Amino acid sequence: MKKKMFFTIILVTVLSGMAISQPAKRLVTEKSQIKFFSSTPAEDIEAVNTTAVGTIDRESGKVVFSVPMQGFEFDKRLMQKHFNNDNFLDTKAFPKAKLTGRITNIEKVDFASDGKYDATVEGKMTLKGVTKPFTAIGTLTINGDKAEVSSVFDITLADYGITFKKGKPSTNIAKTVEVSVNAEYSQE
Amino acid sequence: MKKRKKLRIIILTAAGGLIIGGALTMYMFNMPHRDVTETDPDYYITSTEIVNEYLANSDTANEKYLAADGDSKILEITGNISDISEDFDGNAVVLLKGENDRAGVRVTFTGETEPDEGSLSVGQQITVKGVIRSGAAYDKDLEMYENVIIEKSVIIQ
Repeated sequence: MKKKMFFTIILVTVLSGMAISQPAKRLVTEKSQIKFFSSTPAEDIEAVNTTAVGTIDRESGKVVFSVPMQGFEFDKRLMQKHFNNDNFLDTKAFPKAKLTGRITNIEKVDFASDGKYDATVEGKMTLKGVTKPFTAIGTLTINGDKAEVSSVFDITLADYGITFKKGKPSTNIAKTVEVSVNAEYSQE
Repeated sequence: MKKRKKLRIIILTAAGGLIIGGALTMYMFNMPHRDVTETDPDYYITSTEIVNEYLANSDTANEKYLAADGDSKILEITGNISDISEDFDGNAVVLLKGENDRAGVRVTFTGETEPDEGSLSVGQQITVKGVIRSGAAYDKDLEMYENVIIEKSVIIQ
């Protein structure tokens, strides 16, 4: 009886030790930079946002990014006002944009081995309340228990119902804008 | 003679209109950003109160705090520091969060308003002023609570 109890204690200790040493399943970032870049003959416009939150599930490859839209900072206040107003992104009615997807080649990423891995994300993006399919390629750099994500992709604004029919913004903002994402993840 | 005088008035009025219009356009185009540190707060609130207000009804809270042109409300918020970090651009960030709160208030400072190194510590109660960017919410895809986001902040005390 005593022997049985002794082995049970040993087993519980080993199992709980294993549970503690298991790395967290998810990586989380609150340290990111999302850039929006629009280029037309009239002018180049850039905005930066460092307020997004994101997660990566190491097992399933599930990727989520939530972006507070009023966090985009422009050089010029007028541009920022145009970006936020109800003719463009209507950020009061739609305060957050969201990306949910999956790293389709997650099995090729070895989170236990430092290095740079190419990654493809497929999923959907919701912008101004409109959800569309989304694909992007990027890199995932593993460094110990941290990871860095880097990706550049284009967004066609009309796909999300974002159009300026008249006025200066209709000529000064490109129909397709470039978005670059950089993020530093750590264990949850 | 009368005709020439009339023409002169028309030309002068048009020129005046063009100058005023041009000046206004230039002003609008180069309009400086609102100086949050120099602007009086719209609301005085604790971190727990604003988190709970958002979690109770985010639509009502967004209506109250967010502006359609992005110049949203300036809040003076008091709370306890539960974390100190920095954002991607190296700006100082503090998280104000009550012990039993489900979410907190993420406060980012600018290069000019950054608190002196070592002047803040976890557990300390501070009051800050900044502009709200978004509210707290539980996100089912992230499977976590998102914090209230406050930027361009300055320490009040």
